[in-house]
Amino acid sequence: MTRPNDHEREDDHALAGEYVLGTLSLEQRKVLEARLPNEPELQKAVMAWEERFLPYTAITTPVAPSDYLWPRIERSLKAQKTPANRTGSAVVPPRHRRILHSLPLWRGAAGFGLAAALVMGIMLANEVTEPTISTTPEYMVVLLAPQTQSAGWVVQASSRQEIELIPLGTFEVPEGKALEFWTKADEWQAPVSLGLVEPGQPIRMRLDQLPPLEDNQLFELTLEDEAGSATGLPTGPIEFIGRAVEI
Amino acid sequence: MTDVSSEFDHAAVLAKCARGEHDALHQLYIHEGARLLGVVLRIVKDRGMAEDIVHDACLNIWQRADSFDPDKGSARAWIFSVARHLALNAIRYRDREITFDSNAPTELDHDEHFQHADVAEESFDWQTGQRMDSCLEQLEPERRNCVLHAYIDGLSHAEIAAHTGAPLGTVKAWIKRSLLRLRECMA
Repeated sequence: MTRPNDHEREDDHALAGEYVLGTLSLEQRKVLEARLPNEPELQKAVMAWEERFLPYTAITTPVAPSDYLWPRIERSLKAQKTPANRTGSAVVPPRHRRILHSLPLWRGAAGFGLAAALVMGIMLANEVTEPTISTTPEYMVVLLAPQTQSAGWVVQASSRQEIELIPLGTFEVPEGKALEFWTKADEWQAPVSLGLVEPGQPIRMRLDQLPPLEDNQLFELTLEDEAGSATGLPTGPIEFIGRAVEI
Repeated sequence: MTDVSSEFDHAAVLAKCARGEHDALHQLYIHEGARLLGVVLRIVKDRGMAEDIVHDACLNIWQRADSFDPDKGSARAWIFSVARHLALNAIRYRDREITFDSNAPTELDHDEHFQHADVAEESFDWQTGQRMDSCLEQLEPERRNCVLHAYIDGLSHAEIAAHTGAPLGTVKAWIKRSLLRLRECMA
């Protein structure tokens, strides 16, 4: 193990300060976050800056959260912890939800998804031997798990009206739950359900009822009750998410 | 610690979260939800996105509560840091997405940031009664503003440079030097 000299230590204090201030680029932030678990000195430096600046959060005006935010948090909590906690009358109350409008994860996954999509595109182009896919896909979506950023599914579209959802692995659906597939183009007011999907099973579908697939269109899989969302909108936690990239 | 939060035991709430008590997270949400949303909204400047981030922050706090070590810092600083860094990562992703759409001009976004920063500057009642105040006071006003705007508004180096009209390299040097001086002053 190398012992950092004073100069490097000083640099790390400044770097930790910039991380807390927020001036670092995404790449610099990710590099620092990757170092944190293994570098207690850096952790201490970051926490020291968090403490120093914390009082200045009081400069911002508090904003009362909307009434549906806590119920949404609670739902996500329960979905994480209790897979079989369900009664016959467990109907999700209808709520207008913004989940698909501006979720940062979507943006994050989209940025990451682009790179991943290019990699996957190359992989799949080499591996797909199924004769029914005659043409190269026009669009590709890599659906990532928000927490781990690992790819779980790929959507390939050989035309703007036909897509195939392909699992990259398995996914354990809690008892009484199901994965529901959704899409939303930028201009749409709300996401549209594409139905329930079986984990580990590829499924092909035509989007006849929908406008043609477009670049950047969002796709996600959420965990819903086994009959699907009762509200017509996603209500459960997002398990996989990504945006379409034109190839 | 600041006035409002002195009676609330953040560390005890985190310990309860670590034991799986949903109600503890709710207590925290009731107590700090509005302040967390205020801090996040100021950074991301989009109400829906801000609520999404507070949602994610609460889940993060819940999941990671057992990793909080009171010997390493205060629970309140830890809680706010979780929300702030989610917000900062989200806007840096967003910035990167904007640069991918290279044909889309981003002037409007920037103007909004700057206007926002101007407003904050005019009514800058930044003193908190903490020791850090006197250290910040020792910085040149322009540099102090850079530091505080970065922290509160989540401005990047480039945004601060555009806002102040100073070259990017100068802004980077200002911030770095200001941080070193603040640290010395607080030592």
